[in-house]
Amino acid sequence: MQAQKLEVAIDSIRVRFGSQALTRAAEMPPPQPWLSETAVDHLTGIGGLPRGRLALFTGSGTSGKLTLALALLAGATREFAHALVIDGGGFDPLALTSFSPELGALTVVRAPAPEIAGEAAATLARAGAGFLLLTCEIPEHWLGPLESGANRSGTVIVGVIDTPSRALAHASSFSLGFSRRDWIWERGLLVGLRTSARCVKNRVAPPLGETELEIRYPLGTRPLTDYPQLVTEKPIHAGELESCASAVV
Amino acid sequence: MRVCCGLTAHLELARRPDLYGIPVIVGRWDEHVVAASEEAQASGVLPGMALRQAEHLCPQATFVLPDEEAVVRIRELVSAALYDLAPIVEVRDEGIAWLDLSGVMKPGESIRAARHRLLKAIGREPRLGLAPGPFSARIAASRARPGRLLRIADAREFLAPLPSRELPLDAEQQERLDLLGLRTLGAVAAMGPRELESQLGHEGRHAVLLARGLEPDPLEAWRPPLFTSAHRQFGEPVGDREALLFVARALCGDLADELGLRGAGAKHVRVRLVFESTESDQRETIVRHPLSSTAELFGLVGSWIKEWKPRAPIAELWIELPVLEGAGRRQLRLWAGGDGSSDEVIAAMERLQERFGDDVVWKLPLSIHGEVAPPHSWGGGAQRRRGRAGGELA
Repeated sequence: MQAQKLEVAIDSIRVRFGSQALTRAAEMPPPQPWLSETAVDHLTGIGGLPRGRLALFTGSGTSGKLTLALALLAGATREFAHALVIDGGGFDPLALTSFSPELGALTVVRAPAPEIAGEAAATLARAGAGFLLLTCEIPEHWLGPLESGANRSGTVIVGVIDTPSRALAHASSFSLGFSRRDWIWERGLLVGLRTSARCVKNRVAPPLGETELEIRYPLGTRPLTDYPQLVTEKPIHAGELESCASAVV
Repeated sequence: MRVCCGLTAHLELARRPDLYGIPVIVGRWDEHVVAASEEAQASGVLPGMALRQAEHLCPQATFVLPDEEAVVRIRELVSAALYDLAPIVEVRDEGIAWLDLSGVMKPGESIRAARHRLLKAIGREPRLGLAPGPFSARIAASRARPGRLLRIADAREFLAPLPSRELPLDAEQQERLDLLGLRTLGAVAAMGPRELESQLGHEGRHAVLLARGLEPDPLEAWRPPLFTSAHRQFGEPVGDREALLFVARALCGDLADELGLRGAGAKHVRVRLVFESTESDQRETIVRHPLSSTAELFGLVGSWIKEWKPRAPIAELWIELPVLEGAGRRQLRLWAGGDGSSDEVIAAMERLQERFGDDVVWKLPLSIHGEVAPPHSWGGGAQRRRGRAGGELA
């Protein structure tokens, strides 16, 4: 009975406002993928990160999510006219240099307050920025404008947040949870880490399982004792990242 | 070096195509002949001779007063028409158009196009010559039939049997050449440059080099003027905004075509509305990136017209581009995703800076080798390099 009423309501809306006024989610075309050429492409189910949607990388620190996001950002600077970082604090551009970014296309927005981050993200997504990397939370009331702006312009948005708020998690179309399995040691040196990337939410394609990534740091790293603060997010070369992606479980 | 020369009628004659086919002499009374048609030249009239003498030689000729301004206009028209066919184009009032075809991938196509464009601009089939330099190309063209090309491989060999009167020397110097027995270019070429220099001065040395096919005179490349404009005068004054927008779009299209031909972009845009009472209202701006396409020009001009509130019906619409520059610099990165909305993104960043301060948006400073500057420049305070979004920080 309720289903019938819903059908009648849908039909009346379509008659009154046109057939395109209301579309079932199942009938909507999937978002266009942006081929990041990283292991993440295999996990989304559409062959790349979804354009116009928010993708989230979550998980505890030292799990490799920022490293992966930096690889994506570097790729985006080579491909898009504008790749932006909405930085809530702590983004170090020097960490990006190992990925050979096109620095002319990169802009960093320093957002000391979540409100500024929200407004900047929504404004830039609406303006048509190619790629947005969020390293901080966005207030709930900016998520709607951000989603609609990105949807209109096709901006690729990637958020890197340890524990996203409920609203942000809800707004995301694709979420990957990262958890570190173990460190990789060779000859007494820390050379990388093994991490598990699990698809915890996917609204763009049927959800896939999980992938194990082996992230290796650039050669010539110092002993662990020399850089206790940097060990968590030491970048790697994008090429190494691709070759380290193992099969989906 | 391969130079193509298109030889047409003197541009003074080209401004009166209705007189083609009859003897015409251009000049002012009591002065010298500026130009004479081929029919008049057949009677012995030559440019430079006294007009009275020319009248005596060819009394049936039509005499036309020279118009220097019209000639300059035609020269600019012909130069603009040939501009995209070769890297260097030079057009002279005598009806000579040179195209330096060095490095041109398909010189044959350029020569064909030059022939058609000269025919369209002047109204007469040009004679064409292709030779290693401008002097030999002009001589070759003068010996070609109208609409035909005479191709010369070895300039010295081609020039050798020709009379020495082809050299650009005055009458007295020509006479001295005759007295020296140098009646052909081959004879002049056999002389040492210093020997003839001692006889004729600097022109003597120059003449020897020309006769040897060494082409001492480089072409002077024509440069398009750095100003252009388009305007439309309305029969009845227009008050309708839509009509104004329609006309503005058409004018922007014309200007974009012209800019495309020149490979230029507009750095400064001015729109002027002239009212019925001849008073005018104008708006102008300097743009960050040169505008070159119809969409770019109309994007700016259209937005002005949409918000403009003219105080009276408009009798004339002018779109002027007072400052032009090369449009190529916008293509440094060629195409990148989101280029279409690049200006919008930069504007959005500027709005953010206005709201939250300049420090909010950072363009990364680059070192010479394309790497991020040393860490201390990120430390903050006086060492930070900052600027407006889209500004030259690198």
